[in-house]
Amino acid sequence: MSIDIKSLHPLEIKVLKMADEGTLLSVSLLCDKLGYVTGHANQALSWLLAKGLITETKKEKSIYYELTTRGREAMKIGLAGERIIELIREHKSLILKHIASKLNIDSDDVGGTFASLKKEGILGMDSEKKVFLLDSSKKSPSLLVYRQILNKASETGILSEEELTLQEKEAIGRISRKRGSDSLFKEIERNVSYYLLTPQGIEAKAELEKAHITGDELGENTKEIITSGKWKEIPFREYALNAPMSRLFPGRLNPYSEFITTIKDKLVSMGFEEFDGPLVENEFWNGDALFMPQFHSARDIHDVYYVKDPAYTDDIDKKWLDNVKAVHENGGDIKSRGWEYKFDPNFSHRQLLRSQGTVLSAHRLTQAKVPSKYFGVVRCFRYDQVDATHGADFYQTEGIVISKNANLRTLLGMLKMFATEIAGASEVKYVPGYFPFTEPSVEVHIKHPVLGWFELGGSGIFRPEVTKPLGIDVPVLAWGMGIDRMALMHLGLNDLRDLFDNDLEKVRMRRNTNA
Amino acid sequence: MPKIEVKENFFYKALGKKYTYDELEAVFPKAKAELDGVDAEKGMLKIELNDTNRPDLWSAVGLARALRLSMGKKANEYDFLSEKGNTKNSGKREFIVDENYPEYRQYSIGFAAEGKSVTEDILEALIQTQEKICSNYGRKRKLIAMGIYKSDMITYPVHYCAANPDTTSFVPLHEQTRMTLREVLTNTQKGREYGHIIQDCDSFPYLKDSAGHTLSLPPVINSSDVGAVEIGDKNLFIEMSGPNLKMLLLASNIVASDLSDMGFTILPVKVKFPYKTEFGTSVTVPYYFQKKTETTLDEAEKLLGIKLKRSEVIKLLAKCGIKADVLPNGVIEAYPPCYRNDLISSVDIIEDIAIARGLESFDAEPLSDFTIGRLQPSEVFARKLRPILVGLGFQEMMYNYLSSIKEYAENMCISDENMIHILNPMSEKFALVRPSIIPSLLKTESLSSHAPYPHKAFEIGKVAVIDKNSSGGTRTDNSFALMSAGEGENYNSISSVVSTIFYFLGKEYTLKEIDDPRFIKGRSASVYIQDKQVGVFGEIHPRVLTAWDIEVPVVVCEFNLDLLL
Repeated sequence: MSIDIKSLHPLEIKVLKMADEGTLLSVSLLCDKLGYVTGHANQALSWLLAKGLITETKKEKSIYYELTTRGREAMKIGLAGERIIELIREHKSLILKHIASKLNIDSDDVGGTFASLKKEGILGMDSEKKVFLLDSSKKSPSLLVYRQILNKASETGILSEEELTLQEKEAIGRISRKRGSDSLFKEIERNVSYYLLTPQGIEAKAELEKAHITGDELGENTKEIITSGKWKEIPFREYALNAPMSRLFPGRLNPYSEFITTIKDKLVSMGFEEFDGPLVENEFWNGDALFMPQFHSARDIHDVYYVKDPAYTDDIDKKWLDNVKAVHENGGDIKSRGWEYKFDPNFSHRQLLRSQGTVLSAHRLTQAKVPSKYFGVVRCFRYDQVDATHGADFYQTEGIVISKNANLRTLLGMLKMFATEIAGASEVKYVPGYFPFTEPSVEVHIKHPVLGWFELGGSGIFRPEVTKPLGIDVPVLAWGMGIDRMALMHLGLNDLRDLFDNDLEKVRMRRNTNA
Repeated sequence: MPKIEVKENFFYKALGKKYTYDELEAVFPKAKAELDGVDAEKGMLKIELNDTNRPDLWSAVGLARALRLSMGKKANEYDFLSEKGNTKNSGKREFIVDENYPEYRQYSIGFAAEGKSVTEDILEALIQTQEKICSNYGRKRKLIAMGIYKSDMITYPVHYCAANPDTTSFVPLHEQTRMTLREVLTNTQKGREYGHIIQDCDSFPYLKDSAGHTLSLPPVINSSDVGAVEIGDKNLFIEMSGPNLKMLLLASNIVASDLSDMGFTILPVKVKFPYKTEFGTSVTVPYYFQKKTETTLDEAEKLLGIKLKRSEVIKLLAKCGIKADVLPNGVIEAYPPCYRNDLISSVDIIEDIAIARGLESFDAEPLSDFTIGRLQPSEVFARKLRPILVGLGFQEMMYNYLSSIKEYAENMCISDENMIHILNPMSEKFALVRPSIIPSLLKTESLSSHAPYPHKAFEIGKVAVIDKNSSGGTRTDNSFALMSAGEGENYNSISSVVSTIFYFLGKEYTLKEIDDPRFIKGRSASVYIQDKQVGVFGEIHPRVLTAWDIEVPVVVCEFNLDLLL
C-alpha cells in the first residue's frame, strides 16, 4: 500500500527529495546536505523508518561527546585556564592556594591547569611560589581549541566524532571522560545507522515530484503570511486530514442533571409548580401527616436516619398536630376509625432526614390553592445498605394535583399523560397498589420503547385522613415517579451509585446514549 | 413488602385448578400481588404482596381465597366465629390469663383445630404463615407471637401467666436439656434472636396447661414436647400473644380461616381475662370483632368518576369478601370478612369496588383544570448560573449528601459542631449531612489525580447546618461551589473566575480577608453583597490538601445561592 504523501512532514519530504536509490542516509549526511541539526535528522529518519520508506542497512559504532553540567558551566563562566589567566592579569601574582580559593576551583585542578599553561609558556612561577603571566599577548593554543569545541557543542549539546577536526579530535580526549561528570564532556559510544530508500520510499519520492511538493511549502498560517502576501507565491502544505487530534476539556453539564431538567420542563409544561423544602424534617410531616401510623414498619429506626442534635423540633403548628393526632387515634372529625392507638406527640417532634418526597406534598396541603398542581424532584434519605439499586440518598420525583374534579378516572388520565409525555411510552397498564396515604392506589406500568414493561410510578388519591386534617376538602391526586431507571438507561449506566459519581474523568466522558 | 414462597401444586389445589404463569400474572393484581419469580425445579412460586395492611394474603391459602373470590367464586362459610351476642360452644376448652400476667404483654388467646392430618405441605404453609404474621405484621414478634401445639397432649384449661425466669424451667424445642427461662434466652438461637423483647422484665410470659406441661415461653420458643408439631399430627392448638388484643384476634381469624380452608375443623376456645377488655372479660376465639364501615353511593361515584348500580356494588364487594348492603338512602354498609381489618374509612370500601370492577374498566380522563407551571426561584437561578460555569470550562458534578466526619470535618481541619450528625448512622461513611460542597469537590480531586488536567468541577446543590435561629434548629441552603485544581492555580485564578461569574450575574461585591483553616491566610476572602456575606473563595491550605492526598494546588469558591436570588 502506498503512503499518503500528505502525512509527510517537511523534514521527511526534503530527505526523500535529496536521496536517490542507493544513497546511504545517515544523521551526519542529513546534517551536511540539508543543514539539519542532529535532532531534526534523527526525527526525520525515525519517522521515515516507521513509515517503511527507508530501511536500515548497516550499523557502525561511533563516538559522541556530550556536554556535561560542568561543560555547560564552563561555557558560561569560562574554562579553568581562562579564568586563572584572567585572575592573574588582575592580581599580577598569586600563590596556587589563593587562586584555588578565589576561583573556587579544586586545588588539584588549579595545579594541573597551571602545569599545562606553564608548558605552553603562558604562565610562570617566581621564587615565592607565586604564579605570574609570562607574556600577556600570547594565547594558549589548547584553550583556544577547547573554546572552539565548546562553541561547536553549544547548539545541540552533543558532538559526533565526524564533526570534529583532527586537532579538535586530539584535544577533546583531554576534556572528556567515559564516566563521571567532573570533565567537560562525557564520551558516549553510539551506534550510527545507515539507511537506504525502500521501494515505497522511491514511490513516495516519485509522487512528491509529480505533485510538485518540495517541503518548502507554507506550514502554519500566520499573520505574517497573510499580511506579507507570501501566500500568493508559495503554496500551503496539505495536511493529512485524519491525523490524530488532541483532546479538549470542555465545561459540560452533568447528564443526570440535564435529564432532571428535562423532566422538570415537561412537568412545568403540564402546569405543575415546583416545590422544595429542607433536608431535615420531622416525624410529623414525614409520617404522621401522611396517616402512617407511628408503629408503621417504614417508620422504624432501621428505616430512617434520625438527627442527633437538635433531636426534636419545637416548630409544629398545634392546629395541625391536634387534627392529625385525632385522626390517627379515632378518625377525629372524619368518618374514619383511624388507627386506634395512642398517638405520641413527642415522637412526632423527632427530627429526621426526609425519607420520602411526599413530605413536601403534606406541607404544601396546608397552604395550597385550589385548583393547583405541584411537583418536586426531591433528595431523600433511606437507611438502606448501599448497592447497585439502593443509595443512602437519592432523588424522588413526586407531586400532587388538587382539584374539585379529581377522581380515579382523572388519576388514570394523569398517569397516561406522564407515560406518554415523560417516558415516551406507547402502552400503559394500571395495577392496584398500596400506599398508607392513598386510597385508591394505582401503580402505572408502561411499555418503554427501550426498557420494555416496567413500573413507572405509584399514585393514588390522598385519603381524607391525610387531606382533611390539613385543611383540604377536595380530592388530591398524589403521584411519584421512578425516574432513576430511565436516567440510568438514558446515560447507559446500570448502577444507581454512578449517578452521583465523584470521579471527574468518568463524569466528564459520560454522554447521553439516547439523546 | 412481604414476600412468600408457595408450592405450585399446593397453591393450585387451593385455587381449585392449575393456572399458567401468564394467567397468574393477570389475576394477581386483584390481590395487589406480583409474581416475583418461579423456581421451576422445586416447583415454587415467589410472590410479593404489596398491601402491608392485608396480612391475610400472606399465605398460599389466604391468597388463593382472595383470588377465588375475585373470580366470582362463593366464599367459604366460617361457622366457628363467635361474635357479640353469639358465642359458639367451646366445650371444656378454656384458656385462662392468670391474675399474675405479664403487664407489658398482657394478652394471650388460643383456639384448636382437628380433623385433618398435618402433611408436609400443610406444615410448611403453617410455618410460613406464622413467620409472616409474626415477623411482618407482628413486627418481629414484638406485637404478635404465635405458637402451634399438639392439642392431644394438652389438659385444659391452658394458663398464660408471668413466671419467675430463674425458677421456672422446661426443655425448649429442638433441645435435650432443661433450662430456666432466663437460660433459654442465652442458650438457644431463638432466645438470642427474640429474647430482647422480654429480657429486661422481672417476670417472663409463660404458657402451661393444667397438668403442668409447658407449652412455651412466648414470644421466644415452644417446648420440646407439646410444642413440637410434626407431620401426621391431627389435632392442633394455636395460641397468640402480644400487647394488642385486636391484632391477636385478627391474626387468629386469619390462621383459623386458613386451617378451615385446608379442611380442618376449628374448635373455639373460651379465653378468660382477669381484667376488662373492649370485648369483655371473656372472649371465645375465633371471634368476629369487626364493625361495619360505611360509605355512600354518591361518594363512591364521585371518587371513581362513574355511575354505580346498587346490585353492582353488592356483587363487586362480595368479590372482595365483603358483605354489603345498600340502603334506600344510598348508604353502603360494608361488613369485612373475619380475616380483614383494613376498612378504616369510606375510601377503603370504594377502592375495593374499583379493584373488583377492574382498573382496566375505567376510562382515563385528562386533567381539566388550568394551572400555571412554575419553577422554584432557586432553580431559575441555577439555570442562569450553569451556562456561565460551563462556559468557564467547569464540569458539572452531582454528589451524595451524606459522608463521614473524616471527610466533612477532619480533612477540612474544621470542627463538626455545627454539622448535622445522624443519630443512627448505618456506617461511619454516612455520619453527617454535608455542610458544604467543598469536601465533595476535594474528594473528586483526590480520586482524579490520574485524569489529565485541567480539573475544573462545580456543583449546584443543597447543604445543611445546625442553626438555632431556623425552624427545628437546622437550616438547608441551596449552594454552589466550584473547584479548579492543578499546577498554576492560585488566588488570582479563582478571583478571576469569581469576578467573571458576578459580572454576568450582574452583582457587585466586596471582599474581606478571612482566617479560615481550610484556606491559606491572605489568599482567601469572604464575599459580601452589601452587608451580607454570601460566600468564600481562595487557595485551599496544604494541610487540607495533604489530608485528602492531593498533591497539586487547589482553589475553590462556594456561595449561598439563596442569598444571590
